[in-house]
Amino acid sequence: MKMRKPSSSEFPIAVLKNAKFWNGKSFELRDEVRLTSGQNGDTIEYDCKGALVLPALFGFGLDFMEPLRDDVYTCADGVDAMLRGGFYGGLYESAANPIDDADKLTAAENRFSSFGCLGSSFDIKFLGAYSKGFGTDSLAEMMELAESDAVAGFGDGNGVIPHSRFLRLAMEYGKMTGKRFFFQPMDKTLRHSGCVHEGAYSDMLGMKGIPRIAETIAAYTVLETARFLQVPVHFKQVTCGETLELVRDARKKGMDVTCDVGLYHLLLDDSCLETLDSAYHILPPIRSAADRDALWQGVVDGTINAISVNHTPVLRQDTVVNFEDSVPGALSLEVALPAIWNKLVAKVGEARAIELLSTAPARLAGSTPVANNVVVFAPDKPHVVVESDFAGHVCNSPLLGAELPSSILAVYINGFWKEL
Amino acid sequence: MSSLEIKHLFGLRGVSKHDIRLILDHAKQFREILERPVKKVPSLRGMTVVNLFFENSTRTRTSFELAEKRLSADTVNFASSNSSVKKGETLVDTLRNIEAMKIDIVVVRHKGTGVPKFLADNSNAIIVNAGDGAHEHPTQALLDMLTIEEKLGTLEGKNVTIIGDIRHSRVARSNLWGMSTMGAHVTLCGPSTLVPRNTDLMNHVTWEPDIKKAVANADAIIALRLQKERMDDALLPSMREYRNTFGITDELLECAKDKVIIMHPGPINRGVELDSDIADGEHSVILDQVTNGVAVRMAVLFLLAGGRNNENA
Repeated sequence: MKMRKPSSSEFPIAVLKNAKFWNGKSFELRDEVRLTSGQNGDTIEYDCKGALVLPALFGFGLDFMEPLRDDVYTCADGVDAMLRGGFYGGLYESAANPIDDADKLTAAENRFSSFGCLGSSFDIKFLGAYSKGFGTDSLAEMMELAESDAVAGFGDGNGVIPHSRFLRLAMEYGKMTGKRFFFQPMDKTLRHSGCVHEGAYSDMLGMKGIPRIAETIAAYTVLETARFLQVPVHFKQVTCGETLELVRDARKKGMDVTCDVGLYHLLLDDSCLETLDSAYHILPPIRSAADRDALWQGVVDGTINAISVNHTPVLRQDTVVNFEDSVPGALSLEVALPAIWNKLVAKVGEARAIELLSTAPARLAGSTPVANNVVVFAPDKPHVVVESDFAGHVCNSPLLGAELPSSILAVYINGFWKEL
Repeated sequence: MSSLEIKHLFGLRGVSKHDIRLILDHAKQFREILERPVKKVPSLRGMTVVNLFFENSTRTRTSFELAEKRLSADTVNFASSNSSVKKGETLVDTLRNIEAMKIDIVVVRHKGTGVPKFLADNSNAIIVNAGDGAHEHPTQALLDMLTIEEKLGTLEGKNVTIIGDIRHSRVARSNLWGMSTMGAHVTLCGPSTLVPRNTDLMNHVTWEPDIKKAVANADAIIALRLQKERMDDALLPSMREYRNTFGITDELLECAKDKVIIMHPGPINRGVELDSDIADGEHSVILDQVTNGVAVRMAVLFLLAGGRNNENA
């Protein structure tokens, strides 16, 4: 396994000057604020020149690929990306490495702590698998997994939702844990071999589409099962307004249903397919402009609880091919905040923006934010995204080369200081 | 202007009327040359063309190869079945290796949408799309347009009906873009499981589910090949029902204009999309399409290479 220690400096005390600090309700200009990690050590002083200092973020949708694909990405890369992007923690679920028993949970936790105190500093929560190997034959040891505070709930590894009987049994058994079930709703038979949103652009380009009903039918199956069993559920990376309608209806019936939306699903629509650029090959698929508008409406009216980064590293060789043969996925930890902040604030204000990116996902994952973990952020300082902005040796992002309206200047997380 | 605005031929969507006109006019001249005893011209002498076919093809590859040879180009055929692609070589590595051999033009067919553009983004060669997935097959549409102009005088104001598996057809997509640009009115007809599902694309054409109505005003009918896989994928119940519902038969042609022409991109499933009597009958211009295919491909290669030569001059 490669061991690249993320580049950062340990300064247990940071003195931030001339910054607008978030006080829980608004930003207020303060001459100086002293942040400490609770340890003694060196101090760094930093002139923020009027920049915002906001709470560090909590990321949904992390998969750092270790151990099976550490040729692509490692936990060290992931932690480096989190630091660059201002994330103090995240919800980790590896599609290739299901955490289906306590030993695998310990192994996953050890991967983060194995490269020193920086790795241990991040608050990583895990989604346990509800089945062995993300299969449909045997249940995972959910009760034992749930004994750990690090397990936020149980998930499907972004795979297909199993057949209805197994789904029922998994939720019925998992209900004893009191944990939430996380699903990326997708009916595999309706998805078939689709790789993009089924719509005007898939028709025009002759590409196989994934219809909205692939998501809604799967979501409905989950909701009905959850309603029957009274189990809390969360939908990951919802892509269309119809699914949000199902969530609203379920809440009206008193169900405990939460959901998140992917960063790129708020930023893009399927007109990007015209470029035929594999950087836009993202699953679940980027849908139409009308869907994107419906998602924004869900953000505004509170249907959507959190914004997911769905950080998915892909090797360059798997992206430098034609669209349909490329491996789907996009990096987002490093660019999420500068890409979305101004749009979010314009739609929902600063408090709700912070909630969507930090406090709400943290709450859903059972993480308690630490007040001294902050991001120094310049909302009006543009930044052109370059390869070196990304951790590790991959850079698969549709924002590569784009000018973002904002910049992260520095981050301070549990005594680790990084200027960008 | 006597040169193309496009640098490569990826498809006909977005290609100007000027460029299509230029290609068709040049194709008509090459068509005449093909009738001469000596059918060869020196236009591409010294240039090398690689036919990079990742999908099986007989007639399109042969047509391109003939066009290249008629233009005196050096021609190399590359088929994925006997290449390093079988050994795991990536598309871009294949291209770069071929390009390192100093080729000028790549004619490519691939199952993936956008492969020609991908190759153009990653090489200096001129790229000609010989079919990419279900996206576009521009030279097939150009030869269809040439055939219609040859038989009916013009495309402007003509009614062209395309029947069959529209959803999976690159030929249909290229035709509807190209023919719309040239002023023809395109009607699509086929089983509801084999037509595009979204209206945006259909805004450019008329969708007519009743085949008798679809052919009634047609000046030209293009029947598309029906792939057997569509039955396996539960998109159709049987060839038999397809033939009875959407096949072009003598009985159906009684609903059409007397002078309607029947076209097919080939290869034909006789007795499925076209009855044999129709395929070989007086309305059929299928073999003219084949001849025009060589002429159109000569025009495309000549004009694209000419553009590059002008740039280099």
